[in-house]
Parts: sequence; structure tokens; C-alpha cells
Amino acid sequence: MQDFDTLLKKSADAHGHLCPGQVVGVRMAMLGCRLIGLDEPTRIDQIKKLIVIIEMDRCTGDAVAFVTGVKLGRRSLKFIDYGIMAATFINLETQTAFRVISTEEARDLAPVYAPEIPEKYPRQIEAYKRMPDSVLFRVQKVRVDMSEYDLPGPTRKKVSCSRCGQVVRDNREVVQNDFILCKPCAQGAYFREAKEIIWPDMNWTPAQEEDQMFVGKALRHESGK
Amino acid sequence: MIKTIDLKDAVGTKLAHDITEIRPGEFKGAAFHKGHTVCNEDLCHLQKLGKNHLYLIDLEADEIHENEAAAIMAKALAGRGVVWKNEPREGKIGLKADTDGLLAVNVAALAAFNMIDEVMCATMHNHTRVKAGELVAATRAIPLVMKRAPIERAAAIAAQNGGVISVHPLRQGKAGLIITGDEVCHGLIQDRFAPILNRKLIDLGCEVDRVSFAPDDAEIIRRAICSHIERGCDLVLLSGGMSVDPDDVTRKGIRLAGADEVHYGAAALPGAMFLVAYIGQVPLIGVPACGLHHRTTVLDLVLPRILAGEKIGKKELAFLGHGGLCQDCPECTYPHCAFGKGS
Repeated sequence: MQDFDTLLKKSADAHGHLCPGQVVGVRMAMLGCRLIGLDEPTRIDQIKKLIVIIEMDRCTGDAVAFVTGVKLGRRSLKFIDYGIMAATFINLETQTAFRVISTEEARDLAPVYAPEIPEKYPRQIEAYKRMPDSVLFRVQKVRVDMSEYDLPGPTRKKVSCSRCGQVVRDNREVVQNDFILCKPCAQGAYFREAKEIIWPDMNWTPAQEEDQMFVGKALRHESGK
Repeated sequence: MIKTIDLKDAVGTKLAHDITEIRPGEFKGAAFHKGHTVCNEDLCHLQKLGKNHLYLIDLEADEIHENEAAAIMAKALAGRGVVWKNEPREGKIGLKADTDGLLAVNVAALAAFNMIDEVMCATMHNHTRVKAGELVAATRAIPLVMKRAPIERAAAIAAQNGGVISVHPLRQGKAGLIITGDEVCHGLIQDRFAPILNRKLIDLGCEVDRVSFAPDDAEIIRRAICSHIERGCDLVLLSGGMSVDPDDVTRKGIRLAGADEVHYGAAALPGAMFLVAYIGQVPLIGVPACGLHHRTTVLDLVLPRILAGEKIGKKELAFLGHGGLCQDCPECTYPHCAFGKGS
């Protein structure tokens, strides 16, 4: 794993800014990986051993994902929306899991750890760099019962919703009165008033973009530019 | 797990904790100690102490008694030069200085430690001069029984960087004094600075190698500084010439002597025009004229810290600000006052 300063810089670049949450997230990821015995989580031989469950959609979450290399599409990143500054790091090979929780007292301690910095966020950034892990985090050894349908790898099951026909993957369907339903049909959805539409340029393909670039080059060539 | 029993049923059981008795103005301490077997004769005394029920303790695997917790915490809190005995009194363990010296408290770690629920540690102020055997801190767990994990986490926080509380012995410096000013050097007035600085240095265990006098001439001050260092002084104090007048050239002399680090100005009164500089490892201290008038100045705050091995720079001088205002009391009670206690 790269050193803390390098990881923080790269993570902040990827996230868009350097903030206290980035410092906490980078350190949380470094600690989590250390606890489950992965020193290079983004390396090919370790990447498939790791699952991280992030409990908040805040800056810290981006830093944890960046440092560990976990991704939603690889199914190595899970988001459980608890609104808690915590993440659980699971080593699938050893079946060990640790939940790392950012302490609330760290916020109160920032003025003590970086008293020379008057502004709130720069002070928190510096203080969170200075605090030992024992002050910044609490750690729980936990057991996470992962369904085989949540693990990385190919899709294990596909069914169609008996109401709307939508294909549902990985056992996320709901069975009601012996009917297989997708969750939006069975439980309602985060969206409403869904209505299919048509839109301008709806026959666009990336190949068209390539064609247009080719035509543009040819025109420039002809005009001698 | 804690179980409560009626006092009348307690005969034959062992006390789970010390039971404190307070007789105002007369006595405060343990009337009964943890582990004492309650007998019939004790019942009346216990009732007078307001005890109609007692605890019986049956610890779970993940629980810990306050006495064991106090010992774990004391061990973690105690740094170099601090000792403690595993003899909790009413759940408390005192930490004592093992040597004469200067108390060093890691204030951030102490705050972090005390932010853990159900534990506490209280200390004397950072940078207090202490004697061997003096109580410098005490710790205890607050409930009688608690979970082991938070205690171990508190101990981990306390143990970082070698403990929260340390006592650093003061080195016996070999000091050179340079009294600057035309008025003294040319005999217009009698110097009164040297005896004051001499007394303070000796009180701190230093030896004063030589006192030299220099006029308001930066080059002569430079030569005096170099001469002291060549004679083996590992500490040089310069008085006067620290102000803003055109004749105040002591700072220039210090720079000419090769100081590679000069910090002028301290957030303390008296002593705003204080200076700390370094030539290699040798500290140079510029004492402003307030040192003549006031019994206690910033010098009394900084000199022991230098002798305890602390490197004093801009940050340390700036942090004196909180608590750095002397009240100039008619009768000075320093160090038993707030001066210098905030940093």
C-alpha cells in the first residue's frame, strides 16, 4: 500500500477536494485493510478477497473506496445506508471482518490536537492526521453473513417480474402470493409517475461519433487546414 | 454483573468496593476496604454511613472491577519518571514523580483518554516543577464494574508516545551571563540583573560559569557570546537591549554570533520582548528589562522547560498566551497562581 500522504493526495484528487472526511476515510481504509491482513488491496491477487461495506454516503466513503479499490460494479463495495461514519472490511479468504467506526469525540478533540490552527476544517484535517488510530476509531470484530447472491462473480440467478416483465438479477425479486415480482412492483419505488418517453437523437450510437470525427478530419484535409 | 442485597443479609459476604466515610473537616477515607467480610458488628456502622444495601459482584468474562481497571490505566498513563503502586484507594490510584524535575503532560492524549466513557485522569498542570514523591496525577474508573474493552482502549490511548504523564529531570546547565548596556558597562549605574539571574539559575540546579558585561555594541556582544560557548557553556543568558530603542542591539549581537534560529517575542506579560535563540544545541535566552522589576516573568516559565530538554520555538512562545498574564499581585505567590498554567 502506498504511504498515507500519497493516498490522501490521490484520494482527494479523485474526490474533488481535500476535507476532514478524506483524512478519516483514508485512515479508516488503511486500518481496515491492516486488520484483515491485506497490504495491497488493489493488487490483482488481493482484489477478489476484499469486500467493504460502507455505512455512509459522505466524503469518507469515497476515500475508503478509493484506497481499497472496491467498486460497486465488482460487488466488492456495498452501501448500507445507516448514516453512521463506519465501514466494515471483510477478508473473504480468511472470513475475518472488522467494523471500523469513526469516533464522535475526535471532532471535540480537534482543537486540542491542532490548537495552532484557528479555522475549523483546516484544524480538523491536521488534527485527524495527528491523532492515533485509537483516538480516531473504535473497532468491532464482527461476523457478516453474506448471501452467495451478494458475492462477486457471475450473476447467479435471473427471473422476470410477473407484472412488468423486468428481469431481476441475484435473488432481489419478491414473491407475493406465488407471483414473482420486482421490488418496484411489489413494494413501491423511490420514483413515481414513471412514463416511457422518446427523446431527440434517440438513434445515436458511439459509432456515429467516430463517423463524424472522420468526416471532420477529411474536410480539414481538403481545405488544407 | 452486580447484585444488590439488603444489609441484613450481608453478614458473611465480602465487600465489593471500599466504603468511604466522610467526617467533615476531620476525616475522608475508607471506613471499610474492598474484600472485607461483613460481620454483625459492622452493620450499625454501615447504616450510619447510609448503607442499607450492598453490592455483590459476579464478574462476567468481559467485565472488569474498578480496581483492576485503575491499575491498567495507571500503567498506561505513567511515562518516564512517574511511578505508581497497585494499591487502589476508593478505586483511585495516584501517580507520583520518581524524580525531581518538570512535569510533562501530553494534554491532547489526556483529553482523548478522558473522552472515553467511564474513565478519568486528573493531573497537575503541564510544565509544573515537581519533587520526587509528589503526587502528579490520579486515575480511576468511574463505575464499580464496567466492560473491559473501553478500559483497554483508554489504556491504548494513554500509552501512545510513552504515556501521558512524565517527569523530566532538569539538566545541570553550565550558564554564561552577559549583562548588556552602556550604562552598566561604563559604571554609570550598578548592575542588579546578574544577582537575580544568578539566583534563578542556581535555584534550577545550574552552575553560573562567568558573568560578562558588554556595552550596546553588537560586535562586542557577539564576541562575549562566542567566548562563553568556547568556555563550554551550554546555556547563555543575555539581559537588556531587547527593546525597540536604537541602542538595543542585543538581538543583532545574537545573530552575528551565528544563531541559526531566533524567536523574538513571547505571548506573556511580563516578558513580551523575550528572546530564545540557538547556536547549534546551545540555547541563548534574551531577558528583557522586566526581569529586573518583576519577581516572576516569562523567564521562569521557559527556563525550566529548556533545562528539561524541550526545544522552545515560535509555537511554544505563542502558546504561553493563555494564562500568560501575570496579575502583578502585591505579594507574589508564583508558582501557586495561574501565571503560565494555560499552555
